[in-house]
Amino acid sequence: MTTYSDVPSESEGRLSAPAFSSGLTVPDFAACLEMGLEPVGLVQGYCVMKWSWYGASSPYMRGMGPLRSNDQPRAYSEAFQCPHGFIAGDHVTWGQNFEQTLVESAWEQGFLSAYTRLLEEATEAGGHGVIGLIDTVRPLTDQAVIEFHLLGTAVVVRGAPGPPDGHPWSTYLAGQRLVKLIEAGFMPVSVAATLASVQVWPYCMTEYYLRGQGGNFNWSPRFPTAEIEQLSRAQIAVCHLAREHVRAQLGSDTLYGATMATSDHEANGGSILECTLRGNRVRRFKDFDPLDPPRPTVRLT
Amino acid sequence: MSAPQPEPLDLKTQMTRAAASLHKPSPAKATAVTSDLSIDETLLLHSVGWEPVDLVFGASIVSVPAGVWNWGNGEIVQASEAHTKAVEEACRHTERQCSHVKGFGVVGVGVDVAIHPHHIDVRLLGTAVRPTKPNAAEKRQFDTRGGFISDLSARDFVLLRQAGWAALGLTFGTSFVYAPRRSAGTVLQQKGQNVELTNLTTAMYAARESAMERMQASALSLGGQGVVAVRVNEGPVTFASHSIQFSAIGTAVSLATDAHQYCQPQVVLPLDDILVQFDATSLRH
Repeated sequence: MTTYSDVPSESEGRLSAPAFSSGLTVPDFAACLEMGLEPVGLVQGYCVMKWSWYGASSPYMRGMGPLRSNDQPRAYSEAFQCPHGFIAGDHVTWGQNFEQTLVESAWEQGFLSAYTRLLEEATEAGGHGVIGLIDTVRPLTDQAVIEFHLLGTAVVVRGAPGPPDGHPWSTYLAGQRLVKLIEAGFMPVSVAATLASVQVWPYCMTEYYLRGQGGNFNWSPRFPTAEIEQLSRAQIAVCHLAREHVRAQLGSDTLYGATMATSDHEANGGSILECTLRGNRVRRFKDFDPLDPPRPTVRLT
Repeated sequence: MSAPQPEPLDLKTQMTRAAASLHKPSPAKATAVTSDLSIDETLLLHSVGWEPVDLVFGASIVSVPAGVWNWGNGEIVQASEAHTKAVEEACRHTERQCSHVKGFGVVGVGVDVAIHPHHIDVRLLGTAVRPTKPNAAEKRQFDTRGGFISDLSARDFVLLRQAGWAALGLTFGTSFVYAPRRSAGTVLQQKGQNVELTNLTTAMYAARESAMERMQASALSLGGQGVVAVRVNEGPVTFASHSIQFSAIGTAVSLATDAHQYCQPQVVLPLDDILVQFDATSLRH
C-alpha cells in the first residue's frame, strides 16, 4: 500500500493553489454548492499492474494444482467426477470450478492502490470527501498490463469537522443524486468495488454438452437437452463471490446503485468467469423518514 | 384552501449533520444491504413502505444437441425446450436466493439471454425487496405464492401497486421455427419479382403464436389476470439464418384490490423550451 509521500511534488503545488479545479458538470457544481460542498480540486489515482502468467507450469494449469483448496480453505472450490469410468486416455475424468484468489487479490491491489492515491491527493488538497468518482479499468499496451484509473472532485463540507482519521469519504454520486441521498438520510462512506474470478476446468459431461453431444452415450439421432450443471454453478458462484467480497467491505453499511458485470473467456484448457461489482457504500445518519408517496404527473407538451 | 406545504429541508444543515455522523461508530447489529437500484428507486420504494434487501441472481446454461439447427420443418422443439428450461432454472435460482434473504419479491430483474449453437445461457440479476411492515394481504400473497420475480423497474412496481395490482412473477414464451425451404420452381419463378416470401412470413407467425401462447399459459399458471410490459425479440438466429426465433417476456399481474384504482395523475405544463431534437442547418456544409 502507498504512503502520503506518493503524491508528486508538482501536484502539491497545484493542489495548494487558491483556484480550484473540478470534474463536475455545471448542474452538478450548482447542486454541490447548494448543499454546502465546496470543490477544492480534481483528484486522480493511477496504478498499472502486470498480470502474471496463469498458464503452463503455474498452479492454475490443469493438472498442476487440482483440487487445490486446502491451502485456502475459505476459497470456493467444487469438483465434478466422471460418471462413466475408464474409457480412453483422453477422457476427462474430473473437472473443477475454483476461485482464483491470486487474480482477485491482484485486482484488489491495483484498485486499492489507485484509490488510496486518489484519497491522498484529496487529503493534500484539504478535501473532506471525493464526489462524482469515475473509475476505469482497461488493458494498457497489451492484455497482460492493466491500468486502474480513478478520478473525482475533492470537496470540503463547510461547517463540518474533517473526516474521521483524516481519510476522506467518497462516492460515485454527484449533483441531484447526491442531494437526494442526503435528503433520504444516507451519508456516503466510500466506494466499494471488487472482482471475483472462477476458473472452470470442464469434465467429460461438460465437454460433451458443449460439443452438442449427450453425456450418456445414447447414440440416438437426437440427444435430449440438459442443464450444463458445472457451468451454471460457476456462473452463480462468481456472482455470489463478488457479492460476498463487497459485503465484507460494507460492515453494517448499505451498498446502493450497484452495478454487476460478468464476462468469460477461454484460458488454460477451460474458461475463466469474472464478475465485477461496484457501488456506493452509504450509512444512515438519521431515522428512517420516507417521503410521501409521489404524485403521478402527465406532461402537456 | 390548499394544504400546507411541508417545510423544505435545509440542505446545508443536513450535509453538515451527515458528515459529522461519520465520527460515530456504525451500528453493529445492522445487516449489510446490497442493491442495484438507483437512489431514486430506493426513495420510491421507501415512500410506499418497501425496502431493498439484497442483490440476487440466477443463471442456467442448457445444452442444445448437435444437428438441431440443421434445416427441417416445423418447430425446432429442442431449442425451444432448452430456452424454456434455462429461463425456468434461472428463475428458480433467483427465487431461492430471494427467499433465503427473506425478500417478498425481486424487482428490476435484468434478463440476459445468449444463444449459442450448442447451449443457451440465461442470467438474471435484480434486487430482492420486502415491505417494511407487511400488511395482511402482502403476507397472504407471500405465504400462498412465495416471492415474485419481476422485470418491472421500481418506478413501475410502485405505480402498479398504487393502481391496485400485484406483480406475480416473470412470464415468458419462446419458439424457434424452421423457415420452410422454397422449391426450385418457386425460387426460379420469384427471381426478378418483388414478392412476399410467404415461407418466412409463415415461420414468423408460427413462432409468434407458439411463444405468445406459452407466455399466456405461464401467466395463467401463476394465477395472473394479465401480463404487463411485454418485450418481444424476434428474427433469424445469428448462426442459423433459416431458423426464426420469437421470444416474449413480461410480468404477470393480478388485481390485489376489489377494483382498479385510478391514479389521478396531475397534469403539468412545463414552461421550459422543448429541446431541439434535430437541427436541419447542421446538414449544411
